[in-house]
Amino acid sequence: MRRPTPGRWGRDLALGMRLVVSGGRESLLRGAMAAVGVGLGVALLLVAASISTMLHDRTARGAARDDMHLGVEAPAPGPRTMLVGQFDTSYRTAPVRGRILRPEGADAPVPPGLPRLPGPGEVYVSPALERLLASPDGALLRPRLLDARIVGTIGATGLAGPNEYAFYLGSDRLSEADAQRTDHFGEPVTGEGLDPILLLLVTVIFLVLLLPIAVFIGTAVRFGGERRDRRLAALRLVGADRSTTARIAAGEALLGALLGLAAGALFFLAGRQLVERFTLWNISFFTHDVRPSPGLALLIALAVPVASVAVALLALRRVVVEPLGVVRRAAGARRRLWWRLLLPLAGAALLLPLVGSVRKEGSSVNPTQVTAGVLLLLVGVTALLPWLVETGVRRLRGGPVSWQLATRRLQLDSAASARMVNGVAVAVAGGIALQMLFSGVSGNYVSTTGQDPNRADLFVETRLDPADGVTGDQVAERLRGTEGVREVFALVRGTLQPAGAKPDADGNRPTSELLVADCATLRELAELDRCADGDAFAVFHPVDQTPRPRPGQPVQIGDPEGTAFQSWTVPPGLRRVPPRTAPDGNIYTGFYATPGALRLAQPPGLRVVAYLRLGGDQETAVEHVRNTVAAVNPVSQVWRLQATSMGNRFANIRRGLLIGVLATLLLLGASLLVTTLEQLRERRRLLAVLVAFGTRRSTMTWSVLWQTAVPVLLGLVLAIVTGSALGAVLLRLVETPIRLNWTGIATMSGAAAGVVLGVTAFSLPVLWRLMRPDGLRTE
Amino acid sequence: MTDNDKPLLAAVELHKTYGPTPALDGATMRVRAGEVLAVMGPSGSGKSTLLHCLAGIVRPDRGQVFYRDRELSAMSDAERSALRRGEFGFVFQFGQLVPELTCLENVALPLRLDGVRRREAERRATEWLERLEVTDVASKRPGEISGGQGQRVAVARALVTSPRVVFADEPTGALDSLNGERVMRLLTAAARETGAAVVLVTHEARVAAYSDREVVVRDGRTRETELVAP
Repeated sequence: MRRPTPGRWGRDLALGMRLVVSGGRESLLRGAMAAVGVGLGVALLLVAASISTMLHDRTARGAARDDMHLGVEAPAPGPRTMLVGQFDTSYRTAPVRGRILRPEGADAPVPPGLPRLPGPGEVYVSPALERLLASPDGALLRPRLLDARIVGTIGATGLAGPNEYAFYLGSDRLSEADAQRTDHFGEPVTGEGLDPILLLLVTVIFLVLLLPIAVFIGTAVRFGGERRDRRLAALRLVGADRSTTARIAAGEALLGALLGLAAGALFFLAGRQLVERFTLWNISFFTHDVRPSPGLALLIALAVPVASVAVALLALRRVVVEPLGVVRRAAGARRRLWWRLLLPLAGAALLLPLVGSVRKEGSSVNPTQVTAGVLLLLVGVTALLPWLVETGVRRLRGGPVSWQLATRRLQLDSAASARMVNGVAVAVAGGIALQMLFSGVSGNYVSTTGQDPNRADLFVETRLDPADGVTGDQVAERLRGTEGVREVFALVRGTLQPAGAKPDADGNRPTSELLVADCATLRELAELDRCADGDAFAVFHPVDQTPRPRPGQPVQIGDPEGTAFQSWTVPPGLRRVPPRTAPDGNIYTGFYATPGALRLAQPPGLRVVAYLRLGGDQETAVEHVRNTVAAVNPVSQVWRLQATSMGNRFANIRRGLLIGVLATLLLLGASLLVTTLEQLRERRRLLAVLVAFGTRRSTMTWSVLWQTAVPVLLGLVLAIVTGSALGAVLLRLVETPIRLNWTGIATMSGAAAGVVLGVTAFSLPVLWRLMRPDGLRTE
Repeated sequence: MTDNDKPLLAAVELHKTYGPTPALDGATMRVRAGEVLAVMGPSGSGKSTLLHCLAGIVRPDRGQVFYRDRELSAMSDAERSALRRGEFGFVFQFGQLVPELTCLENVALPLRLDGVRRREAERRATEWLERLEVTDVASKRPGEISGGQGQRVAVARALVTSPRVVFADEPTGALDSLNGERVMRLLTAAARETGAAVVLVTHEARVAAYSDREVVVRDGRTRETELVAP
């Protein structure tokens, strides 16, 4: 037989497309369904293709406003310099980026997004912060801005995202000690790459999320397949040969794909208008950030139509279109296992040589090899599932009528069922593998802070502001008077030098830490057997034999920068005690004195540290504390104490995975629902006949449930096996002991089972409507 | 009225419209036990709608259907379903066998729906396949057999529950004359043997010739004719 020319291909494809358009309302409806299905998939692919641009734009804006010029010597004060103080804070769970600006000359730089520098008592706020401050929700944040007058909003160029909380506060009293001097904003964008393990995680996540979308698109282009088969039979009747009908069928799928591309572009354009409304993990994006990389967009535009044609041609392999009808060769040749096994085996062969090669530091991961390996393993699921479903349902016998109807249906056309659950199986397999990998490597990213939240809820550190002359005792009193604060352990930190001590060769004088606090506070920092006001302690590790001021020796007390301001004599009754880990995880060694032993002058510049216990509504109490501290000195620190901390990127990736898998499962649920409804509609007349026999509604309901549940169950078994195997290989790649993550397996399987139940529940109203006897009218 | 005259099934002044189109416009008829009744009329005259109303598949807009003195319209959906499972049998133009079940399973289906155990249902189904001369297709699926064989399987399925009434809607419409004759001969013979009444919707005089009596439907109204020779 001669090979068809490109022209012939074109004509047949065009005819296939025309048949959809001219096929009446139902044909158009099915074409539209396919377009919407493909469109949803394409829109998600376009979003995925936009991620790099989104992240790049966000990072670039962050770099453009950067005022932390690390490794660069600060400029000398001049007309082009300014002092910048970090007034970062948090409100509820959201971070608030704050800067205090004090220009030192007329030509001081203006941060991006601002028309001018704010004057003293003026503030520029981000639009989101302006909205928050204007709303009742922002009531507790308003006092923190120190009654500054809002004079404008920060433009998009000065914000990481549209929903970021940020402000620039003008000041004329910001001290150098609380700020750094700069003559410009902005640093070059330095793409801080992901470490190899995170890169591996991100690569696998992308595959796990995108592959089901590809499967979904493959399913969507076959919406309306049974009606199409009848059309093809009619074409055979008028003389079309088998290959012509296949090309015409491909044309129908091609139209669905092309319409889907257009629909996907529309969904994407419409969807990105909404992107500014959403904030995930305090990250938001501008609409103009969401634009696909041109190369990937072109790839999608080409791959989707080509793949749709390929899927249509592949799907017709097991279908014989004869002039008088279409026969599915379910009873024909059995699916062969060997080549289906080759795919996962090839995947494993690519991944296994990498075992032990991926470390957090000092190694690199070959993304191509990992991608190919994981891809082959997951594609192996889609190849193995039709064989498994066919083999699994072949021997099913007996049971009630609903079971019999379902299993016989599966035996007759297991491919359709396998197609239905392929996406779910891939998503679950990938999800299980990733959960295993996450659990395995989480130890690398979750660290123990040493903090003890049982002893204190908050840690506060502030520098006494020279401008308002507040003392450490007054700070402690203000904290005690703050709403929601139950207990305060406050101390003043200074330094202590022997009087007349000579500097060493580097010019440094021997300095010890000095902490002044009451006995209750000192007990939190040292192992004190007894303590009374008037006592003083030398708190050092027993093994530490560094020379220090002795009892009776005159010393100079200074601020943390070493500027001496007060003389003192080390009391003769000084006791040596070991230190105790403070609630913030630190160990403070040095000289401890109660107020009765040292009446500290408390000049400006001393640091006050406080540990706070909160009561009642802790979230609200934290905000009150932040306001109190901001009023003392905006450039202060307020931390919540927590026993462990998770690396930000790791936590974000883990959260992203969960959201992504959930979104993918929902998309697949929609696909399952459409396919189920389509199959029900195709069987409308048969359903009506069964009703005529007096078939109970419950019988048909159970039948539909079994028909979905059996392949899903088989798919889940395959997914658990493949996912666990992939997870094991990935864990070996990063040299982590293999441990099955049963929680992950249960979560993913449960989510998939939930999707199936949801699909069944949503399809029941249609089933019951189709079971009305009206379906017999056309008989 | 003697017991013999008393109708097994009766339709009184049935009205039914689908949208703006009236399908039945006062149709009245009776079916006696054991008789073969042909409902004739041109396409679109309302024959099938009348059959669906008689079988309790479709509820008429007005009028009443009585089966053994019980009014079908007054029954719940579950009661009518139970009636169709136990007392009625159905044959449609294209057989409408369930494509995924084997022919044996198709015939056993009404029994299984009625709660008969599978083994017993398949034993009785096998007997009916034998009576309708299609035992050779018992293990085949509907897609693998001819139209005539399929229709005979459908007749076996209609009779397997020993119904009192068999509703046959154009049972030979998709068959050639030879196969049509064979299906009709087997259907009527089996029905007479079991004492089932047959309501036969057809527009072919050749098929109607197997009936004891004819009802002609035209524009949704009925006209009963004299008994014809069996």
